[in-house]
Amino acid sequence: ETAKPVEPAQPTAGMQSLKSARFLQLQSESVTYPEGYKSPNPALNQGGKRQGRNYDKEFLMQFQEVFKEKPSVDWETRVKETIGSDSADSARPQSAR
Amino acid sequence: EMNGEPEKMPNEQIVTVFDDPEHFNVKHPLANNWTLWFTKPPSGKGDNWNELLKEVISFDSVEDFWGIYNNITSTSQLALKSDYHLFKTGVRPEWEDPQNKHGGKWAYQFKEKKAVDIDHAWLDVMLGAIGETLEDEDDGEVMGVVVNVRKGFYRIGLWTRTVGKPIPGGGEGSHAGGKGRSTEEGKAILMKIGKNFKKTLQLKDSEQVEFSGHTDSAHAGSTRAKAKFVA
Repeated sequence: ETAKPVEPAQPTAGMQSLKSARFLQLQSESVTYPEGYKSPNPALNQGGKRQGRNYDKEFLMQFQEVFKEKPSVDWETRVKETIGSDSADSARPQSAR
Repeated sequence: EMNGEPEKMPNEQIVTVFDDPEHFNVKHPLANNWTLWFTKPPSGKGDNWNELLKEVISFDSVEDFWGIYNNITSTSQLALKSDYHLFKTGVRPEWEDPQNKHGGKWAYQFKEKKAVDIDHAWLDVMLGAIGETLEDEDDGEVMGVVVNVRKGFYRIGLWTRTVGKPIPGGGEGSHAGGKGRSTEEGKAILMKIGKNFKKTLQLKDSEQVEFSGHTDSAHAGSTRAKAKFVA
């Protein structure tokens, strides 16, 4: 009787993995990263309250090209509402006033 | 139901995002939860600060950070008078916040806007914050980092809980703001953080970062308050 609702966008596999993944226990679990990927610098993580959660820049930068999933299906709308309508435009020149 | 926290199985195989960016089952926890905030440029119609300062999103893992960073407007594309703030969750990026009001900030102004890769500099500072390489474990000073986009400059700041002195209600201990941390120790910790900040920004020795207390800035009515320390 009513107009057919628009099918809501489905989360991607990557978005779902991000939600369901558990935290690594960095002090008790040993992780073998695939070849070519470095572990966090162990010198930063000598015990303590941070529980191995110190990460050097080199380790963190490895994710930049690997994980590009948007946080949620409505992310672009949220960014637009929060940061403004020209958020997605890349090369718009700014008028200096 | 995808939201459940799966029990760790004895023989579970660990799959990181590097193994499979679509089907991973572990992520890298951060030592703190962080919230990204954005200040919209004023419209010129008398809008108040509270309407301009917006919470964007909170996160607690390395993977979440990159999902956000890779899908948000870069600093170099923001309009003039915009700011990004990355603060520990629960701390508003304002000096009036109870956790900030006895603190201060290290800051550096890039006066030659065309000469700096501000996106790179801001990313490096955010990585220093979330990776906890700006301070040592027990320093307890770092509250957040901020980038300001202005007509004549970019500025990056690192906010600290104290100005190196005990704070009201800070207790007896040797943590930041406690009476057990002497003024000399407090200053030494802030200086070390300032040097880390400068190194993270990859500044030259001749380029100085400056520290000032928030209330000094507020009383001076501008950011021209006298710097207390330089590094």
